[in-house]
Amino acid sequence: MAQAPAAGAEQPDGGAARSPYAVELRGITKRFPGVVANKDIELSVRRGQVHAIVGENGAGKSTLMKTLYGEHRPDEGTILVDGRPVQFRSPADAIAAGIGMVHQHFMLADNFTVLENVVLGSEPRKGGRLDRDSARRRIEEISERYGLGLRPDDLVEDLGVGDRQRVEIAKVLYRNARTLILDEPTAVLVPQEVDELFGNLAELKREGLTVIFISHKLDEVRKVADAITVIRRGTTVGDADPRTTTAKQLAEMMVGAELPTPELRSSTVRETPVLRLQGVTVASDAGRPLVDAVDLTVREGEVVGIAGVEGNGQAELVEAVMGLRSLAAGSVHLGDEDISGWTTRSRREAGIGFIPEDRHRQGMLLDAPLWENRILGHQTRPPAAKGPFIDRKGARSDTERIMRDYDVRAPGPDTLAVALSGGNQQKLIVGREMSATPRLLIAAHPTRGVDVGAQSVIWELLKDARGEGMGIVLVSADLDELIGLSDTLHVMLRGRLVATVDPRQVTPEELGGHMTGARTAAGAA
Amino acid sequence: MNRLRSTGLALLGPALAVLVALVISALVIALIGENPLRALQVMTDLGDAPSQQVQSIVVILNRAVPLFLAGLAVSIAFRMGLFNIGVEGQYRLATIVAAAVGAAVALPGPLHLLLVIVVAMAVGALWAGIVGVLKVTRGVSEVISSIMLNFIALGLASYLLTGPFRGSPEGASIITTTPLPESAWFPGLNGLLGAFGLAEPRTELFGFLVVAIVVGVAIAVLIQRTRFGFDLRATGISASAATASGVDARRMVVTTMLLSGAVAGLIGLPDLLGDARAFGTEFTAGLGFLGIAVALLGRNNVLGIALAALLFAFLDRAALPLQFADIPASVVTIIQGTIVLAVVIANEIARRLALRSAERAGAEATGAPPDPGGSADPGGPGPGTGPDGGHRVRTGVPGSSEEARA
Repeated sequence: MAQAPAAGAEQPDGGAARSPYAVELRGITKRFPGVVANKDIELSVRRGQVHAIVGENGAGKSTLMKTLYGEHRPDEGTILVDGRPVQFRSPADAIAAGIGMVHQHFMLADNFTVLENVVLGSEPRKGGRLDRDSARRRIEEISERYGLGLRPDDLVEDLGVGDRQRVEIAKVLYRNARTLILDEPTAVLVPQEVDELFGNLAELKREGLTVIFISHKLDEVRKVADAITVIRRGTTVGDADPRTTTAKQLAEMMVGAELPTPELRSSTVRETPVLRLQGVTVASDAGRPLVDAVDLTVREGEVVGIAGVEGNGQAELVEAVMGLRSLAAGSVHLGDEDISGWTTRSRREAGIGFIPEDRHRQGMLLDAPLWENRILGHQTRPPAAKGPFIDRKGARSDTERIMRDYDVRAPGPDTLAVALSGGNQQKLIVGREMSATPRLLIAAHPTRGVDVGAQSVIWELLKDARGEGMGIVLVSADLDELIGLSDTLHVMLRGRLVATVDPRQVTPEELGGHMTGARTAAGAA
Repeated sequence: MNRLRSTGLALLGPALAVLVALVISALVIALIGENPLRALQVMTDLGDAPSQQVQSIVVILNRAVPLFLAGLAVSIAFRMGLFNIGVEGQYRLATIVAAAVGAAVALPGPLHLLLVIVVAMAVGALWAGIVGVLKVTRGVSEVISSIMLNFIALGLASYLLTGPFRGSPEGASIITTTPLPESAWFPGLNGLLGAFGLAEPRTELFGFLVVAIVVGVAIAVLIQRTRFGFDLRATGISASAATASGVDARRMVVTTMLLSGAVAGLIGLPDLLGDARAFGTEFTAGLGFLGIAVALLGRNNVLGIALAALLFAFLDRAALPLQFADIPASVVTIIQGTIVLAVVIANEIARRLALRSAERAGAEATGAPPDPGGSADPGGPGPGTGPDGGHRVRTGVPGSSEEARA
């Protein structure tokens, strides 16, 4: 009975293959008080495949994976591993059954070596002491076998993001996992590292391991997955074949509706400059230029995109414009005024809106209610303030308005921000910044980690704001977003603006070439 | 209903802590061969005659006033994630300087009092301000510098007392400053007690109680209702988010320390102006450290601090009757110590419960699990430091200032 292939309706080839699946979930339902997070989940993962699970943020992917990894127990339904029904009481049970999880946020001790991190929690012992030799042998063997390229004695703090992720993978493999769950593994990687990761996944597959790959980056999913299952509103809505399904079709399955594209309508660029940067230079503590003599003009109604591999000075440039970093040289003009020496607060008051790249770190007070988050960044202006006092009533009712107008789904303005999903947090931030009707908006990765539905809402908002004459600086790692929204597109490399391209003609590949410095030139600024 | 629930959760932590502390203390008392119930009875017995009871209540209130001010001083810094461990030194130094200045000038009544109060606040603020300035200019952890400044302040106070500010005659067993003239005595409130038809107690109820209440209300309004208070709390919750929102974190550190120190300067005044009239070797010590415990127990909330101060004062009063009953008075210290330990743990438990209920509420509305907090950290190690280079550590500090720089 357990051996019978899934009778799930969305399993077109279910009857054909007789080999047992590595993992099957049947009719999984998980309720939290007052809410059903997962409902009737049907999932069949073939052994030796990369199986992608895609869905919007908040669609229930994480809840599902927690169920599979034993972090909580489902209320209904069965989990089958290699055709046998299992019950996980804790992650330890899942690991014993050969299921391992690589979390999105790495759980590594920086001041430990790779070896120490990998064995942490399941140390091989010899005479009561850590048996380093046998640990090293196993780690080298794993690294060799799956092409992870790890050196056991490296300190983790010296490793890049890609290497850290491979350490996490090694940790799971060290515990003899046969099925790996990767939770949004590419969210933290630059394109080259993504390719390396996909190489690693291919190795894992070749060795007969199974990978469950959670993502909402549809292009990547199509590239790496052998099978795709789409989750929407807590339930599986269907499977897709990555070879025959387009990203757009997938996205439409995810949101259950037709999607807008980021394409702009017509140009709304006016003559008056809103922001002028002249020779802006930002130095690191060591004196190295992080932003090197950047000249940039943003006019009313213009979206100026800044493309670049992360870490090439975009973040520092944004902070320099916001007054969060001091300039080593150059000047920043807002309209006609030189704001180079202004504080962040007076810049905000003068009409600069800010969507920071890391909403947890810079955009929100997670432990504070939404209405206090509405005040953040607007402490000195109505409706948040009345003289020297905070206008609680005004802030509350304006938060309610933002929640309505910007589709922020939350119980009410007194909800803590930490209780919202990423997309809803971001919509609140965008709504808050837009509500002050700034002249200039600095949008750093405005749709990062946001689901497709919220992404299209935010794109629309940016387009509307531009139409009304707002100048927008758009820093993003999403090339489609940059190309689709920008009126002018600059490429930043090692702190300099190295190229200016026409977003109407450039392809993502060309842009990628500029970003890595492989292409120099043509219209270099 | 939601509000009721969150208030309930807020009260749960301290209530649990007090209960646990009582149980542990009962065990300790039983272990040393005394009857815990008898000890409890002795502690709660305020006296038989009405005049005795009123006297006990006055003693408790008089002790609670400085404890409340101390808790308030500590909590202001706590609310923005700063640990002002230096309240002890701040109030000692402030009190002796205020006592000396008050004794040296002659002014009409209210002005004289005002001068003493202003001097005390200024000295406290100055001493705490050093901590703030060191933190923003040199990146010195405020914990280290405020502890060190405690030693300097105590040493300095001793020097001033035996040297320039000495008022007591040579060879006196207790060294004090020159007593304050009558114009700098804060009127007591016993007349008020009489008006309520209560028996006249032997001890004068500190008039400074009124000042403490006014300061408490002012601080509560400042922190909860004003823009400044919002900036302060925002910095306490997330220094990086506050900076990005336009808060000048460096200035906030200095301002907050000044404010905390100014309130700390008041701690010694109820006693100085209401009873002792001079600073001396016997002047009440340790209030600054007790203030940390009071602030913890009160969860940095002004009303909570008032209740915590009353509880601690109640326990302190019990020390004497316990001795009369042949029970070691250190029982009181044990209870206070276990309360502090238990409150740190209980606050953490209450915080997690509150978070879980918030997450549930969020999930109910959206059908979506919340975005996990913590630092999304794209591209390499995130900056683990605050805007001023201080390292961020997780602490058990309750209330909103969960992440604090140490």
